[in-house]
Amino acid sequence: MNSPALSASKRQPARGWVIVALLLTAATACSFLLDRYVSLTSQAMIYVLAVVIASYKLDWIESAVCAVAAVTALNFFFVPPRWTFEVENQEHFIALGTMLVLALVISHLAKGVRRETELAHLNERRARQLQALATDLSNVNSPADIEALGHKALDAAFAGPCSLALTQDGRELDFAADLDAAVRDGMRCCMREAAVLGPGTGRWPGLLAWYLPLGERGHVTGAACVRPALAADEAGREHAQALCALLAQALWRLRVTASMLAAQSEAQRQQLQSTFLAAISHDLRTPLAAIVGAASSLQTQRDKRGEPEQDRLLGSIVSEASYLSTVTENTLQLVQLTGAAQALKRDWESMEEIVGAVLARVRQRDAQRRIKSNVPEHLPLVKADPVLLAQLISNLLDNALQYSDGAIDLSVSVEAQELLVSVKDRGPGIPEAEQKVIFEAYTRGDQSGQRGAGLGLALCRAIALAHGGRLTLRPRRGGGSNFVLALPLDAQQPGQELNQELP
Amino acid sequence: MTLRVLVVEDDREIRALMQSSLSVEGFEVQTAVSLSEASALLRHSPPDVIVLDLGLPDGDGVQLVREVRSRHSLPIIVVSARHQEAQKIQLLDAGADDYLTKPFSVGELLARIRVALRHRGTALAAAVTVHELDDLRIDLAAHSVLRSGEVLHLTPTEFKLLARLVRSAGRVVTHRQLLLDVWGPEFTEHTHYLRLYMAQLRAKIERDPAEPRHLLTETGVGYRLAAV
Repeated sequence: MNSPALSASKRQPARGWVIVALLLTAATACSFLLDRYVSLTSQAMIYVLAVVIASYKLDWIESAVCAVAAVTALNFFFVPPRWTFEVENQEHFIALGTMLVLALVISHLAKGVRRETELAHLNERRARQLQALATDLSNVNSPADIEALGHKALDAAFAGPCSLALTQDGRELDFAADLDAAVRDGMRCCMREAAVLGPGTGRWPGLLAWYLPLGERGHVTGAACVRPALAADEAGREHAQALCALLAQALWRLRVTASMLAAQSEAQRQQLQSTFLAAISHDLRTPLAAIVGAASSLQTQRDKRGEPEQDRLLGSIVSEASYLSTVTENTLQLVQLTGAAQALKRDWESMEEIVGAVLARVRQRDAQRRIKSNVPEHLPLVKADPVLLAQLISNLLDNALQYSDGAIDLSVSVEAQELLVSVKDRGPGIPEAEQKVIFEAYTRGDQSGQRGAGLGLALCRAIALAHGGRLTLRPRRGGGSNFVLALPLDAQQPGQELNQELP
Repeated sequence: MTLRVLVVEDDREIRALMQSSLSVEGFEVQTAVSLSEASALLRHSPPDVIVLDLGLPDGDGVQLVREVRSRHSLPIIVVSARHQEAQKIQLLDAGADDYLTKPFSVGELLARIRVALRHRGTALAAAVTVHELDDLRIDLAAHSVLRSGEVLHLTPTEFKLLARLVRSAGRVVTHRQLLLDVWGPEFTEHTHYLRLYMAQLRAKIERDPAEPRHLLTETGVGYRLAAV
């Protein structure tokens, strides 16, 4: 809104007198030029024309002075006896009087027309400003933006100085540091009364400014101070009120949206928590049942069972217990990652090392060496939490080992400023309907009762996201799944200073 | 001579399990449930190895590790849960020798104790100068590294780094310790040096650098030169 101030325009007084002088000079010059060809009546008409123009354009004082001067000039230059102020004929007095009255009447009428035109223009500009402000406010997402727009609108609409302050959390006004104490008082008072104060409002008419609350009683979200304030300028006050109403509406909209979102996310969180707990207890109960079963069988039937059978039960206890420990670990990490913002312990890490360490651990469960790894040399370093990344890769490999029979390909590559780690298997794959939900905390690929690392994939995705990366599932042609972790790479790699010793 | 192990652990079940598992292997086992009890026992009769649990009721154990280090060279093995990473590294930097993450198997515990005791013996005798495993032979005194009898050429920094790991072969060496000993005190935060040099070392020493046999990564903690 860059229009000039929308208040009533003011004309410089000197300009009026210059116009009067120019008009009279022009009329006199014209009359002299036509002196030989026309009668005195026509010359008088030329002066009348000048007076009409002056009365239309200028104030009544200037028009009256112009009329008197025109009559005087006509009298002096053209009315016989010429070059004197004497009036020869009574008739000319009437002409002079008429001209004076004419000038005043036209001036009065013109002034009325002018005022109305100006008012119409002003109203139009104000209406346009309100419209523009409403449009701007509909795209705004923060109280600070609303405040900025409000400041701009008030400064554009009024000569000022205007000020605006919003409440903080619905309580105290947050004033600009350099705001006058009197203005602060006025703003607080209009907020308390939830009414406009100042000249023409019937409340505190002695004030030098209007104080307007933003919003209605009970929902006041701020206050504005507008200057100059004239008791008679009702349209100006109404415009200020309209601007404030728009601002209040926008603030209210923001507040309602925020509280709606908060309520929604709280409901979602509770829903998530209960399904999450249900999923966890399911995941914990299954291995616990197996452990208790095997251990109690050993306790009560040891003598009846042969040595190979005892070994099988013991092996089952150990593997179930280690599965239990994985589930617990995943759960803990997931809760930490998705809960309160936990700072990652990030450092420059080598994916080659992380993959190597994970493989060393996972190979214990991969006696047939089904995992084929393909990790190129000279990979760029990533700024990451190595423990979390190791857990991610290890979860993906565990899943692949558990759900598929054939070879599993683990490969690392660099593509377009991203480090990609992909784990491909030739298992049954994941049905399309479930592909979207397998990363949710409470779902699992198989609903058949077969177990899996229920939270494993949810944790994997949480870890990827915490590193600013992505974890995606791509179905493979010919069956199987391909999980791809993409981590953003820093363009600025460390260790440039080591170049002399490194190839 | 019976070797004595001091187990500092506040959980009764785990303490009992460790005691019985170690006794079966022929160790004489003392137990303590708190740091104060442990230091009292230490003053009375120092053991041959300490197994120290993190998260004891009366402190974080750093004080105990410093106290032991100031008077004895006996090995300390830290037992930690997964979420106690930071504390574990702190203890390793303070002078603990190795760590175990819960849950661990009895086999792992015994292996760690064996490695730690072997080092205690060599620490009292001459320092390790030769490391041999599979086809790899490192001779610190001769500055030579051989793989299948073939000489490997290392840069001075690579050799320094490898030598530091050889002197603690089988045990974890934290990032901080490596940076401190190889590059110096002002480089202890430059973990990327380690990443780059370890990659170089692996490329030269390992048959499959992506799945190392010798230069093992202890994720988030440090490195370990495989001893078995």
